[in-house]
Amino acid sequence: MPDSQPPLLAGTLDLLILKTLSLGPMHGYGIAQHILRLSGEALRIEEGSLYPALRRMQVKGWVASSLKNTPTGREARYYKITAAGTRQLATEEDQFKRSVAVTTRVLRGAES
Amino acid sequence: MTLRELLGRLVTWRRRDAMARELTSEVEAHVELVARDLQHQGMPLDEALAVARRQVGHVGRLREESRDAWGFPAIDALMYDARYALRGLRRAPGFTITVILTLALGIGANAAMFAVIDRLMYRPFPLLRDPGTVNRVYVQTTYRGRTSTSSTFPYLRYTDLRAATRTISDFAAQTEWRFAVGTGDAATVRKIAGVTPSFFAFFDAPPSLGRYFVAAEDSVNGPPVAVLSHRFWATELGATNVLGRRVMIGVVDYTIIGVAPPDFVGTVAGGPPDIFVPLSSIPANLGASSVASFRRDYNWDWVQILVRRRPGASQRDVSAELTAAYIRSRAAARAINPRVQPDSIAHPLAIAGAVKTSAGPDGGAEGRVLLWVAAVAAIVLLIACANVANLMIARVIRRRREISVRLALGVRRGRLVGQFLTEAMVLALIGGAAGVALAQVVGVAIQSMLLPSGSSFNLATDWRTMGVALSCAIVAALLTALGPAWSASRPDLVSSLRSGTRDAMTDRSRVRTTLLVIQSALSVVLLVGAGLFIRSLENVRAVPLGYDARPVIEAIADYRGYSMDSAQSVVVRRQFLAAGQAIPGVVAAARVNSRLFGTNTAQLRVNGIDSVEALGRFNMQITTPDYFRVMQTRILRGRGITDGDRGGAPLVAVVSEAMARALWPHAEPLGQCIHVGLGANPPSSAPCTTVVGIAENTAQQNLTDDPRFMYYLPAEQVGPHWLSTIYLRLDRPDARGELERVRRALSRAMPGNGFVVVRPLQEVVDDQSRSWRLGAALFTAFGGLALLVAVVGLYGTVSYSVAQRRQEVGVRIALGARRGNIVGLVVGRAIRPVAIAVLVGLAISWAVAPKLQPLLYAQSATDPQTYLVVAAAMLLAASVAGLIPAARAARLDPCTALRAD
Repeated sequence: MPDSQPPLLAGTLDLLILKTLSLGPMHGYGIAQHILRLSGEALRIEEGSLYPALRRMQVKGWVASSLKNTPTGREARYYKITAAGTRQLATEEDQFKRSVAVTTRVLRGAES
Repeated sequence: MTLRELLGRLVTWRRRDAMARELTSEVEAHVELVARDLQHQGMPLDEALAVARRQVGHVGRLREESRDAWGFPAIDALMYDARYALRGLRRAPGFTITVILTLALGIGANAAMFAVIDRLMYRPFPLLRDPGTVNRVYVQTTYRGRTSTSSTFPYLRYTDLRAATRTISDFAAQTEWRFAVGTGDAATVRKIAGVTPSFFAFFDAPPSLGRYFVAAEDSVNGPPVAVLSHRFWATELGATNVLGRRVMIGVVDYTIIGVAPPDFVGTVAGGPPDIFVPLSSIPANLGASSVASFRRDYNWDWVQILVRRRPGASQRDVSAELTAAYIRSRAAARAINPRVQPDSIAHPLAIAGAVKTSAGPDGGAEGRVLLWVAAVAAIVLLIACANVANLMIARVIRRRREISVRLALGVRRGRLVGQFLTEAMVLALIGGAAGVALAQVVGVAIQSMLLPSGSSFNLATDWRTMGVALSCAIVAALLTALGPAWSASRPDLVSSLRSGTRDAMTDRSRVRTTLLVIQSALSVVLLVGAGLFIRSLENVRAVPLGYDARPVIEAIADYRGYSMDSAQSVVVRRQFLAAGQAIPGVVAAARVNSRLFGTNTAQLRVNGIDSVEALGRFNMQITTPDYFRVMQTRILRGRGITDGDRGGAPLVAVVSEAMARALWPHAEPLGQCIHVGLGANPPSSAPCTTVVGIAENTAQQNLTDDPRFMYYLPAEQVGPHWLSTIYLRLDRPDARGELERVRRALSRAMPGNGFVVVRPLQEVVDDQSRSWRLGAALFTAFGGLALLVAVVGLYGTVSYSVAQRRQEVGVRIALGARRGNIVGLVVGRAIRPVAIAVLVGLAISWAVAPKLQPLLYAQSATDPQTYLVVAAAMLLAASVAGLIPAARAARLDPCTALRAD
């Protein structure tokens, strides 16, 4: 595990999970693996954050879950994004991009 | 929270257990997947599983965190905690019962005191509209540094004060009397309220039946009309349609025009009136002279005044305007009677004060005592809380291992503290419920001491008291949970897991000792208060009264307008006395005009003294020869009144020793002249009444600071046709059992519709010492309670620390300590904090003493003897509380003690 894992920006966990699920249904471990892979092994989602987050999003109606068999034959809970989740993803993605853009602009201005 | 989320939470809350299971299996699946990946990288299966498990972390903690998103975690946690608390409490019945009882005593004491004080002083009268804007009018005059307060006025003063309309929108007057109601055998004495028609407009109380009276009916010539109280109507008249029926009240025949609604009691203190009649119809029951004079002169204080402030007018504004009107009214009174003191001497002041007189400018000694006792009740609660906190800390220490395990298993500290709070809350609520039950009993007892005629006292429907009890319970829960929460929030996990409960005790026992010192010190304060009140009451009881009222019955004849000329009056009154004397068991009887503590005066002139009034109040008794035998008042010199002192014989008087000394300090009082201004005779032209006897001093005005100036005149010389009251002395030490027999015998002697009201004279005397008895009883009860709680707490703490130090004691015994040494050690440890507490408590008592002083009689509030006795009692109690565990420690078998744990 890399020691210098960048801290996850507050509020981005939901965004990452929703983005991952927008590719298709996935179980918890799959979500964590997917984010790890896409971040170039830089973002390890702690199970202790992942599952509570999934529960929270389920209550909010952004994701739904059902039990399915994994390719290896074990039963696991698969999550898929809902219509509300898709809308939420769009909002959050937009917000995130704007906030990054704004923050970056300020940082750049401060450097020059 | 969006609606959707709320729904989601509702759904998940309902299936939260299933969801917890799902999460567990999901996490397990996750672990397996991680392990499988690790295995692919070449790790052996069991090692891969272990690594995966460590990486995923504890399922319990995960579940705890996920729960936050499900359902309603706060409610969930609360219910869980409550169930957990109940389970835990069931397992420790001794602890539970002790705590509940302790809290019940503390909360019950407060609920009872609040209920009593609220009823006496603060609760607005039922149905009063907008009670915050209603005031009673009081006036004060300060003469020679002595302020006297009055809330009853001449009728003319009421009409004068009605000029104050700038700040006052409504005025009403009321008066209370006891008159006979009904005729013949069915006649009973009832409380009658005379009120102005405007009185009813102060209330939101439409009549249950008929109507209230109008202005035209409130006049001496108006048709006499009456409104019944709902209770009187229901219990005496069977709630039938009574409109238009007649009811005989006193000597006046009233027509019933309405019935008040059920809760309507007006603004009458102590027991609701039975019937409301127009104010102006009252004097007709008090004689023709009253009817003629009440609208003409200022001599007779009989009406009470209510006002409603205009919006925006403060009590101060109203008082200022009323004072101006009062001063004008005094000027008007002075025009009729020049003896009304000038304002520069009397310093008149009118006050718009509390509707309940007990909360008014001069609430009386009972109110002040009650407020003190309320403070005492609060202290009892504090002591109870200290005790319970102590027990709870002990319990936490005993449960250290359990708590540490739970912390290790991932319980958050916040939840742990929450659990203690819930446990404390559960205990306090049960204790509070038990306390309210207790308060019901105690409150009835206190109320019966205050108001002999028991009015209702039901806490089940009393939301104000319930609210106070609940607040007390919440405060108690917070106070008692503080200790354990603090204690549990800083455990040293590893060491307590390893060592159990044995060590890490010392700093906690310091907290417990502090609590012990606080509660013992407070107990000392209460016990000092109890001691002072008891001694004060003893002093009051030891005051020589100059008479013995216990075997005496007071009988008041009400002739109910039986028309008699003065010759007949004389005969009837002589017959009444003779009837009394003829009753078997009656030793002696006398007619009197002054009742005990309701004395009359007349103007006196004595040659050589400028102003007799300046010396003080001289009370006058007009009576018959047997008076001194009836009262057992000794004649010290000269003679008493005899049958020879009749009309035409030389006028004579017997004076009290104090009066003789005040008037003729250097001369022989026997044979001196006093001039009594009676009836039409002003004292300037009154004839000489010769002093023929000196009687011992008697307490007739009040028990304690009465100068005991008293003179006795023969009824046959002064007013043979007056005096409707007789005193009868019975041949037994206590007259109470004979009351009904005497009443019946006397009633038979009454002409016409007349009837007789009897009362043990001792009751009149007892009323005078009520505030002292109240203080002594309540301080003793609460002080004893506090001592008990403190001793139980001490016992608990000492036995606990003995149990904790078994090993140390075992070592000492093994090393040859003798039993006596061990007992000394343990008892000494018990006494030390109490000794500190005694010092602290005595210091507090000393500091508070000046405030308590005015409530005591002939008793210094810093009496060293009382302080010493209390200190000794407290230390003795501490030794007893320490001895039992000490004996247990001394019997300890060193082998078992050392081997344990």
